[in-house]
Amino acid sequence: MPAPQRIIAGLALLLFATTACGSEPTSEATGLELWTRSTPASAEVYKKVIAAYTAKTGVKVTYVPIYENFENKIQEAAAARDLPDVVINDVSLLGTGLSQGLITPVDRAGIAGAGDTLDRAWNQARAADGKYYGVPFSTQAVATFIRKDWREKLGKDVPKTWAELDALARAFQDDDPDGNGKDDTYGMLVPASTERGYTAWWASSYLWQGGGDFLTESGGRFTPAIDQPRSVEAVKWMRKLFCEDKVVVPGALTLITDDAHPFFETGKAGVYLTGPWMMGRFDKSLGKDRYEVVPSPAGPGGQGVLGEGENIYLMAGSKLGAQQKQLAEFLISPEGQRIGMNTDQPNPVVRLPVNTTVDVVAERKDERWATIKKIYENDGRLFPQVPNWTPLRQQAAETLNSIFANCGADVQAELTKLAGSFRTELAKQKAG
Amino acid sequence: MTLATSSRPRATSRGPGASPRRRRYGPRLLPWLFLAPALIIFLYFKYIPMTKGVWLSFFKVQPFLGDEWVGLDNYRQVFTDESFRAAIGHTLYLAVMQTGGAMLIGFCLALLLEGKARTLWFVRSAAFLPVVSAIAVVGEVWRLLYFPAADGMLNGVLGWFGLGPQGFLDDPDSALWWVSVVGIWKHAPYDMMIILAGLAGIDRQLYEQAALDGASLRQRIRFVTLPALRPVVTILVTLACIRGLRIFTEVFVLTAGGPAGSTDVVMTRIYTLGFQSGDIGFASAASVLLFLVILTLTVCVTLYRRRKEI
Repeated sequence: MPAPQRIIAGLALLLFATTACGSEPTSEATGLELWTRSTPASAEVYKKVIAAYTAKTGVKVTYVPIYENFENKIQEAAAARDLPDVVINDVSLLGTGLSQGLITPVDRAGIAGAGDTLDRAWNQARAADGKYYGVPFSTQAVATFIRKDWREKLGKDVPKTWAELDALARAFQDDDPDGNGKDDTYGMLVPASTERGYTAWWASSYLWQGGGDFLTESGGRFTPAIDQPRSVEAVKWMRKLFCEDKVVVPGALTLITDDAHPFFETGKAGVYLTGPWMMGRFDKSLGKDRYEVVPSPAGPGGQGVLGEGENIYLMAGSKLGAQQKQLAEFLISPEGQRIGMNTDQPNPVVRLPVNTTVDVVAERKDERWATIKKIYENDGRLFPQVPNWTPLRQQAAETLNSIFANCGADVQAELTKLAGSFRTELAKQKAG
Repeated sequence: MTLATSSRPRATSRGPGASPRRRRYGPRLLPWLFLAPALIIFLYFKYIPMTKGVWLSFFKVQPFLGDEWVGLDNYRQVFTDESFRAAIGHTLYLAVMQTGGAMLIGFCLALLLEGKARTLWFVRSAAFLPVVSAIAVVGEVWRLLYFPAADGMLNGVLGWFGLGPQGFLDDPDSALWWVSVVGIWKHAPYDMMIILAGLAGIDRQLYEQAALDGASLRQRIRFVTLPALRPVVTILVTLACIRGLRIFTEVFVLTAGGPAGSTDVVMTRIYTLGFQSGDIGFASAASVLLFLVILTLTVCVTLYRRRKEI
């Protein structure tokens, strides 16, 4: 073959090869694909659950734990039209997933074992249209973590009201609770970065405790409540923590949760509003007897706290509909829930079981979980169930972060502006 | 060229019967054929995704529901979104500050560290380290340095001079400036290296002659060094501006755009809206605009340079 012809033939082959690379992926051949938003430690627990599922049903599962940039990965997979079959994630995915058609509706009555699941847990899987787009897998409520040894050393009681909480935080800040003679402790740990809307996650509980809210619902339509007097007062109280009392750890406004935990573990901050999943880590790093987990001190509007959980989402485009459902059914069964609770180990992926036949206190033999359960049942609240909460959460986080950063800002004016953005977004989502 | 000439004798050796078409197209086609592997790779990994990005910017993107054509709505939103406008301002500020700062410090470093001594070689390598360290790690380290309390590292140093603790990244009024300091620290040694290469190309005799004519040090820099460095400087400015406009990692690791959005740049905005809020159409529109700005800037600088250097 003459040289140019050989080159042409070679190029044709190369072209063919590259085209072949771009053809349809064949993930179905490997069985179900499951993604969870998990740290490496909790991924180990998921692996145990999946192993039990495969042993029972013979269905192979390709498990992909992702912690960093989980939302990106979902968007990338969606753009490539190659989503995993099942995703376990928090409630955030409900809105974005639904608005982009990434998740499929679930027939609650058709799920085996659904009768044994906690009725209120299903709320976290219910979308604005009243249908379910996921199966609840785990629930939880946030609680106030306090350095018990510090509190006892300073002779303070467990705070029951906002005023007492504030006073305790100030004492932690000023009265050298660790007794090292240095002014190096802070009152409250607040991960208030706008990333993933963290500011709004943290502030939501205090907003509800102050009697305020983001939105109010009536008959499926939402109106902003964030600019109403009680919300404004609650936000002013939160800003007081940052600006006047100055009990919040330095750098809080750009702090994400991962960077926040060490402040509590290493004895820098004494009060931390966070979720029960942190207990395993803090028991190890700090010691179980050095901190306590208590219900949030009551504000003028009660003790409402964020109480949501994780859902099992059956993703669109899957060719394994029956197996998707079967995996979900296993995950909410007593066996799936028990393995997920990882009882005598840290990092449970099932925090409070959704299955009513599984008793969290009996399984864990830890009174703190009874507290969490009580908080969830009495005071747990969900973010507003608008079609897609994520953009609203981001807007709320950005405004709140800005209010906490600018101590001279007019809170009412800022929140009125936020209410305006809420209205625009709600109109876009046809829910306003 | 050798390829083109080598194919000719073969064509003639076949005598009058050889295809005239081959004679006409063969030599012209051949270079393209050799370029083809690279071009195909570019096509797959660059041009097709880029075109797709431009295409998506006209849609409300929802892959599983069918994308919805929205025309120029996404672009309109980019221009009307207040936080986006602020982000554009922050990006320009960072681009100017970092480019200027890195260039100035890089130039001073280059003047100080120019020479052939072994010790200078060592110092140069040490100074170059920030450039080769991973930016995510650098960001985390600077977050520690910037810890905004009296027991923070930099605040500890400031304390020795009786200066009160700074808010650094926690203070919305100054956060952007502190972000740019990290950028300057990171990029100045790179500029130093390029300028050093430029300095090496300057004829020593020019300095000697200038000195003989009684030129002071400052005059020598002003009239000998700087004019000779012009090509180097224009290249550095172009690269640094593009880098500055695309800035993402430093900001994302240091502040993620906070506090109060005071360090939000175009890329962090695109990331937040595209991936965290899931609005790919809007993020694509913003990316296309950023691309156009960078393209215009590059073309302008190139044209300017050509005119100057002819």
